[in-house]
Amino acid sequence: MNNQYSNKQIIALTLLRVAIGWHFLYEGLFKYLSSGWSSASFLLHSTGPLAPLFKSWAQSQTMIENIDALNIWGLILIGLALFLGFFEKPAKFFGIVLLSFYYLAYPPFSNLAANFHTGGNYWIIDRNIIEIASLVVLMMFSSGTYTGLDRFVVDSKIKKDSIIYKLFFHRKKI
Amino acid sequence: MKRRNFIMGISSMPILGAFSIGATKNIYKVLNDKKVDSKEQLSINQFDVISERLPKPTGNEQNRIRIGLIGHGWRGEGLLNSLGFFHPDYVNKMKTEKLYERWLPYQRRHENLFVDITGICDTFDIHSARGLDAAKNNVREDRNTPEILSKIKQYRTYKDMLNSDNIDAVIIATPDHSHGQIAIDAAKAGKHIYLEKPMCHTIETAIELKKTIGDSGVVFQIGHENRQQMSYKLGNELYQKGVLGDVSMIQTFTNRNTPFGAWIRERQFDNLGNESTINWKEFLGNAPWHNFDHKRYFNWQRYNDYGTGMIGNDFSHTYDCVNQVLGVGIPESVVAMGGHFYYNVGKDDLADVFNAVFYFPDKSLTMSYDGTLKSGIYRQTRILGSEATMEIDRAIMLYKDTYSKRYKDIAEDSDNPFYYYAPNARVDVDAVTSATSKNYFKSGYGPTYIDGKIIDATFLHLKEWVDAIRGQGKVSCGIDAGFEEAVTLCMANLSYLHKKTISWDKVNEQYSIG
Repeated sequence: MNNQYSNKQIIALTLLRVAIGWHFLYEGLFKYLSSGWSSASFLLHSTGPLAPLFKSWAQSQTMIENIDALNIWGLILIGLALFLGFFEKPAKFFGIVLLSFYYLAYPPFSNLAANFHTGGNYWIIDRNIIEIASLVVLMMFSSGTYTGLDRFVVDSKIKKDSIIYKLFFHRKKI
Repeated sequence: MKRRNFIMGISSMPILGAFSIGATKNIYKVLNDKKVDSKEQLSINQFDVISERLPKPTGNEQNRIRIGLIGHGWRGEGLLNSLGFFHPDYVNKMKTEKLYERWLPYQRRHENLFVDITGICDTFDIHSARGLDAAKNNVREDRNTPEILSKIKQYRTYKDMLNSDNIDAVIIATPDHSHGQIAIDAAKAGKHIYLEKPMCHTIETAIELKKTIGDSGVVFQIGHENRQQMSYKLGNELYQKGVLGDVSMIQTFTNRNTPFGAWIRERQFDNLGNESTINWKEFLGNAPWHNFDHKRYFNWQRYNDYGTGMIGNDFSHTYDCVNQVLGVGIPESVVAMGGHFYYNVGKDDLADVFNAVFYFPDKSLTMSYDGTLKSGIYRQTRILGSEATMEIDRAIMLYKDTYSKRYKDIAEDSDNPFYYYAPNARVDVDAVTSATSKNYFKSGYGPTYIDGKIIDATFLHLKEWVDAIRGQGKVSCGIDAGFEEAVTLCMANLSYLHKKTISWDKVNEQYSIG
């Protein structure tokens, strides 16, 4: 069985990785640079089964400050990691977690409010789910070990059988 | 080979470089475009009313107020509930529906006002008995000792109650036609009064009541609990700050689409009503004589002899909200038209479709009311201004006018609100299920959000009255607001009945037909 990517496959996977990284990084930087941005309103108007939880978060000042900080820095760090292909594995994992929160705040279950907020027409599947699915694909087909800084870690003489290492890095598919 | 490895590893770096130069530039450009802060421009980024705190408690063991309830029907029982008195059946219902654990803390969150219900008066024995059971079951404090309970009395007529020394104040929640007379007699007896809306059934009684209250010195509050609703207070502040520009038109609506909403009501014990359990003469009061009629008694809202129709039941709320926001007062003239097309046609005389136009030349505006009992579509009150339009109920939405010069830099177009107030008050604390109740809550007559808490607006309104009796603060819906409400709605009903324009002479306080 041939486990190696072709050059075209690597380029495609890298483009997808960089595109998602771009999206995360830009969103994070935008929120960081626009003073006064807060997730309160987004959470306050959330719909769906988890809405009471999100709304209760939105009503606590300390909770909102923590959520804002985690969201902004989460977006920036995940974006950078995907861009650079550095610590790609945890970045994809946390990216999926973050996107799942966005999805669950406005789940498109034939609910007008959700579509109203996101400015499109969705049923069950929305853009968040597509991005989550893309990250799941990238989880299975990593590219950072070829076209990212992870390559230098993988090629280095670091011991690769520890659990910590396995949590943070993919294996190179050769 | 090494060199190739290195280049591959950093291959995404150039894209990141390009990104970092372009991205920050773009962010600052977008932010600059957004810089016109609509709220700042409106000077509505800070509000006085939103930072309002709950008024301090005024009650203690020494200054207890003894209240008599006149009229323990649907609304009378609701008022007892707002004071913390619940019929045991209600408490059991909360328990069987597994709502008790949530309901009791919500009740206890409301201040103990140190009031006792010491008298119940109703023309229907079953209602009285139920009222007594509720009065004996205070869920906010432990007052259910035999000595205290023995002081709670049933009165056969309201006059007996007014003659009693065991009563300091009365809550009146009787059919509309009796409001005025009972309140006049109560004021003369020196009892403080909380009177349900609409204040009066005729303009003549309203004039007499206003005079009596003015002479009496009792604390008088009309039961328009919307006065406590944050959105209407905020609406008033926005209007005062001139956010809307010139207001030329106000549109008000009420809609219902159920027999219950059309006041065709059967409660489980109504069939116990007969000539021996109902004090028919006391019920009729000053109304024209009619032989005992079960339907007239239980569905009194459907008869102009006793009720005020959609105008008195539904529009009076909406009118008072508008009056609270804009202070429109009494219109110079009113023209109304309606029809009795759908419910009990030929049996009673309530219009089920009603339109009215109210003319306010001194304010340079007109107000319309469209009401139907045959469509449940929900419509908020709309206040149309030259710069912006306000949609108001429990929430507020502001839309800029397409031709507004003042708001031309605001990014939102006229289809999307550029400002909204939507408090996150959960309305299902009391297991509200019927459509009528939902509209009631949405329209802002249920709970409100104040001081970081969700509080029943009717409770706040009662508290304001109780505090004022103790000399703290003033009532927000006193005799003047009540008078404006009563005259306005009576003018609309007169116009409907006479099919003529009704005019109001504000100097001589007289109306004329045609």
